[in-house]
Formats: sequence, structure tokens, C-alpha cells
Amino acid sequence: MSRFDKSEQEKVFIRRRLEAITGLVAVGFLLLTIRAVDLHWLQADELQVMADKQRFRQFETVAPRGPILDTHGRTLSESIEVPSIAAIAREVPKAAIAKLADVLGITEKHLSNKLNRSQGFVWLARQVSPDTAEKVMALNIDGIRQESEWRRYHPLGPEIGHLLGFVGIDGHGLEGVERNFDEQLSGTPGIRLVRRDARGHSLPGGSWLKQPAKGKTVQLSLDSTIQSIAYAALADGIRQQNAKGGSVVVMRPRDGAIVAMANWPGFNPNSFGNHKPGEWRNRVITDVFEPGSTLKPFTIAAALDSGKWKPESRVFCEDGKYQVADHTIHDDHQEGWLNLSGLISRSSNIGVAKVALDIGSERLYNMLVEVGFERRSGIGLSGESPGIIPPIGRWGPIETANIAFGQGIAVTPLQLATAFCVLANGGNYVAPKLIADQETGRSHRVMPKKTASAIMAMLEAATAPEGTGNKAVPAGYRVAGKTGTAQKPSADGSYADDRFTAVFAGMAPADDPELVVIVVIDEPQKSIYGGQVAAPVFRNIVGTALPYLGISPTEHETPDWQVIKTALADDHNMASRSSLIRLSLREARKISSLRGIQLRAHGTGWITRQQPRSLDSLVAGDIVEVWLNE
Amino acid sequence: MISRKFATTLVLGSVALLATAQVWLSHIRYELSLETSRVQKEQNELKREMLQLNLELASLTRPERLRKIAQKELGMAPPLPMQVVRP
Repeated sequence: MSRFDKSEQEKVFIRRRLEAITGLVAVGFLLLTIRAVDLHWLQADELQVMADKQRFRQFETVAPRGPILDTHGRTLSESIEVPSIAAIAREVPKAAIAKLADVLGITEKHLSNKLNRSQGFVWLARQVSPDTAEKVMALNIDGIRQESEWRRYHPLGPEIGHLLGFVGIDGHGLEGVERNFDEQLSGTPGIRLVRRDARGHSLPGGSWLKQPAKGKTVQLSLDSTIQSIAYAALADGIRQQNAKGGSVVVMRPRDGAIVAMANWPGFNPNSFGNHKPGEWRNRVITDVFEPGSTLKPFTIAAALDSGKWKPESRVFCEDGKYQVADHTIHDDHQEGWLNLSGLISRSSNIGVAKVALDIGSERLYNMLVEVGFERRSGIGLSGESPGIIPPIGRWGPIETANIAFGQGIAVTPLQLATAFCVLANGGNYVAPKLIADQETGRSHRVMPKKTASAIMAMLEAATAPEGTGNKAVPAGYRVAGKTGTAQKPSADGSYADDRFTAVFAGMAPADDPELVVIVVIDEPQKSIYGGQVAAPVFRNIVGTALPYLGISPTEHETPDWQVIKTALADDHNMASRSSLIRLSLREARKISSLRGIQLRAHGTGWITRQQPRSLDSLVAGDIVEVWLNE
Repeated sequence: MISRKFATTLVLGSVALLATAQVWLSHIRYELSLETSRVQKEQNELKREMLQLNLELASLTRPERLRKIAQKELGMAPPLPMQVVRP
């Protein structure tokens, strides 16, 4: 082989080697390009998601439910975060079950059942006290975890339970305002995105994928002070009469605002599970009753409206017994001739029935429908009854006569309150409202102002000393109102002889009504008459609520049929005290001046300390030193 | 004309400085994240406490309780008509 051939062969070999290496490098680049395209293009979305999962963390924040407030912004319902105990069931060691059950206050078997229900996440105890949660977590058991949930509290408890209703464990309203305004009250959970570093710590910044929104506030027209006054007065009245139950509704006539709405027996919405579902019912709107004589003012209004009757028109009341077709109407008191005002104040069934028969059923029916009976008020609460008025086509003379004095017709306490607001408003119907900032509802004239004023004067006469409603008048105020007593229907459709509903419907002050109050007492035992049973409850409510509203009494004489306990004991008792502790400075001054001793006071509020400890050893001119503390 | 040695030193120095600054920034960022978490937790705690206090206030000032204290502990009673004046 020549030297030239050898050199040529080497060159070819080198070239081939270069070509092979170049080829390999090219294939390498090609593969890299393919991989790059695969990663950056084909798998980009998937990989981006995986990377984001490592870098970002999403978590849901629960938005609390909005509060329910009264008209002055006082809290009626609020949610707070409370601990709940949960577990990943498969991770919980069997040996720890007994100890855990003991701390949770449940039986070992009950806890085992809960843990056996699922292998994964199970609730063990929801909405427990912080102390219990702390004790459980201190046990440091595998698989046990603490979660946070929102729990609803109603600080006023049973006083307002029927109106507010309650919220279930899932945070949604199940009854009352909580249920009917659930959409507004419920918060919207938010989702927050946070960037994490390599160690998993959250980095500053972060963004909301969805902003959490706290539930909106629902502010009611209700005044919790008047609600409490109404509930206490109702409970007191029912206890005194040993009655089955009762309802009160208080309205402000000028704008239809519902100021109080209470039922007795109350139910505590904080522990609604301890009450039967029947006890959750807000009977002011769901239950109907025969209004009895409280309906008479509307019969008289229809008569005055007809133009055939005047307030001074007289009716013969048949001395207590009157035949209509084959039916006999009775009066509790035998009456002779009475004018229309007398019919109201003496509450004559016969007189009112005769007036109704004279004006005809249609006029009476129209008046009842116009003032709000036979339709739902539309205050926004579900379960409201429209009441019952027989169809006008079925009104014969007996029906007309009965309905004229409130029998054979059924209304809710709220409807009766709305109807009395018409009289208080000078004949204008104003739809009731429960929400504070809701515009005053539809309003229309139902009767001329003159008619309403005439009825108001009759109602005021009905609360005069000789009227049936004389026990409804608080000292110093003028009241217009009407008593009512109705037999309750029995199961067979007839009237029960021993079961009655006592009612008082009225307003105060009579010259410019600020409040309309309806009191319904169900099955009183000691007396059956509205004037004896329901009127005192009305007096207690109005007598306390009006001064609270800043409405001063106009009459300064205390009627002799009422006894008022005064805040200060009489002077003799005051002067004989040996201690000034717990008295106000004003009372202490009175005592010291009565005994002729000098008073030296420090601080403001109530007296918490005095020197000397007893006043007994002091004589006129001595000094007593007191310290007050708010 | 800058010497090659000086240029190299300048580049290396800048790299070292930037690297140190990066580490320091990372540390600051970490510290800030811890502080933010702490403040956020505190904010949530305060909000929770505010709700609880609000509820406690509503519970302590509920009219029925005040009435009982006024009547039973302080011996107060409804005023006579003459004792009521328009506020």
C-alpha cells in the first residue's frame, strides 16, 4: 500500500467520524428540540398547573352570616366562630377512643359508631366550647383535628325567638327572619391565592380569586326594649290568668312599623332542638282567632260611611235578647236604647248586629277587606295566614249579624293591629313593615278622616271608667281601645262552652297615637273577659313603653282604680334608714336633709361606701361621708 | 483604558454584591411573610373578639336583665306620671 493510499484512508476515517459525531450531536439537538417543544408546548398547560400547585396555595375563607339588628342597632342575632372536633377516622387509634369520648362527654359506643361511619373525614362534635376543644387537642391523638365553624347566637333568647327563628348547623336559616331573609344574611365564601417559598411559607402579596362577602345586615323596625316590655307584660298576664298562651303585637301607626311581636310560651332559638316544631310557630302571623267585639268599631265605621248613621244615632238593644232568623243573639248586659258610641263602650252585640243588618252585608264586607282582613300583610315572613272571612255570597242575615260583632270570622293579631292602625291614622291604611329602612308601604284612604275621628272618640269612651276597657288605661295617658271576648270553636265545629279568647285592641295616646297594641290571651282560666284579662296587659305595655319613647303623660291625676308603686319609698321609711349604700345621691340627699345631717359625697353613680357605717348614732348637724361608684 | 484585571474584578464584585443582595432580599421577604401571617392572624383574632364582645354586650344589656337588676337589686319601679319629663 502506497503512502498516498494510507493518508487518503485516514482522511476518510476522520471524515466519517466527524460525520458520525455531527450526526449524533444533530440527533441530540433534535431530541432536545422535540423535548423542548413537548415541554413548552404540548405539556405546557399541565406542567404549568403542576408548577403552580407547588408555588401557589389556594384556601377558602368562610364569610360570616350578617347580623340582625333592632331599630336602634342593638344586636338581635350574631354569628361567632366556634371550634368543632373532626377526625380522619382511619388514623384514630382504637386505644384513644375511651379517653376522647370522656372529654367530649359522649359514650364510647356513640363515638365508635361515628368513627366507623367512614374511613375518611367525620365530625365528632360540632360547635363545642373552646374549653372542650382545648382539652381534646391537648390529648394529642392522631387523626383528630380542630375545625372552625360559625354559630348563631340570639342574645334576647325566648323573648324574640318566634320572630327571629333560627339557623341550622349548615349555617342556613330554618325559621322566621333567619329563614325568610336567608339570601341576604348568608355570606359568600372567598378563595385566596397565596405564593409559597421552597419551605412552604406564604409569601407576602397574594390575591383573591374570589372576594369573600360577609352576609348583609338586616335591621328590623323592632325595638328590643319594647319587645322585652311586651313579652314580660304578656307572660305576667298569662301567669295571673293561668292561660294557655297569648300573643302581642305592637305597631307604630304612622309608618306601619312593627315595634314588637311576642308570643307566650316563648321558645329559645339558641336551643331550638329542645322545643317541638309546633312551638316554633310565630302565632302573631300564623294563627287566627275570632276577634269578637274588637271588630265592632269597623262595623260602626261602615255604618257611618254609609251616610245612614251618625254617632248620635240611637239603636234599641232589645234588653239583651234578639232573634235573627232562627238564631238568638244575646248581650252580656241588658241594654235599652244606646247611641253608636254607647254600642262600643257598652259592647252591645245586638245593637251592632242591628246596625249591620241595616247597612247590608256588602258594605260591612268591603270595610273589612279594605282595612286589611282576608289578605296577607306582606311583611316578608312565610307561614302568614290570610285569615278567614266567609265568601260574601254566603252571608245571610245570621252571618252578617254574627260577623258584625266578630263571630264567624277569623283574623291574625297582625291583621287586627293593621286594621286599628287605619283608625289611628285618620282612616288611612298603611301596610305593616318589619324592615327598618323599608319604605313606608302602600297607603290608601279607607274611610274619611271624620269617620275615623268619630270611631276614635268612641274607643276612648270605651276606656273611660264606665267602659268595658277601663283597665287598659295607664296613669297619666289617654287610651282608645276595645275589649273582645270570643268563644273558641270546638272540634265538631260548634262553639266550646269553656274555652275563650280574650282580646284587647287599642292605641295610645288617644289624641295622637304613637302605638297600636293588640293583646290576645288564649284560654284564660280566672276570667274570660278581654277587659279583665287582656286590658291590664295592654296597660302595662303602654304605661312602660310611652315614657320610654319620651311621650310624657298628659293627665296628672292617678285614677283611683290603679295603684302605682313608686321608685322612692315614703318619707318616713326613707328617714329611718341606717345605711345609704346602693342609693343614688339624690336619695341620700333627701335622707340627710330629713334627718338634718350633713352629706359629703365623692364620685358619681351609686353609693358603695359610707362613713360612719350606720346613721343611727348620728344627730342633727353631724356629717356622713359617702363614696359613689358607677 | 480600563485594565482587563480591573474589569474582571468589577464584574466578579458586582456578581458577589448582587448575589448577597438577592440572599438578603430573600431573607427580608421571608421575615415579612412571617410578619404578615402574624398580623393577619392577630387581625382575625381581634375581629373574632369584637364579635364576641358585641354579643356579650347585647347579652348583658338585654332589657329583661336590666329590668331585673333595676327592680330587684336597685329597688327601682316605674315612675309616676309627674316624674316623667320629655327628654
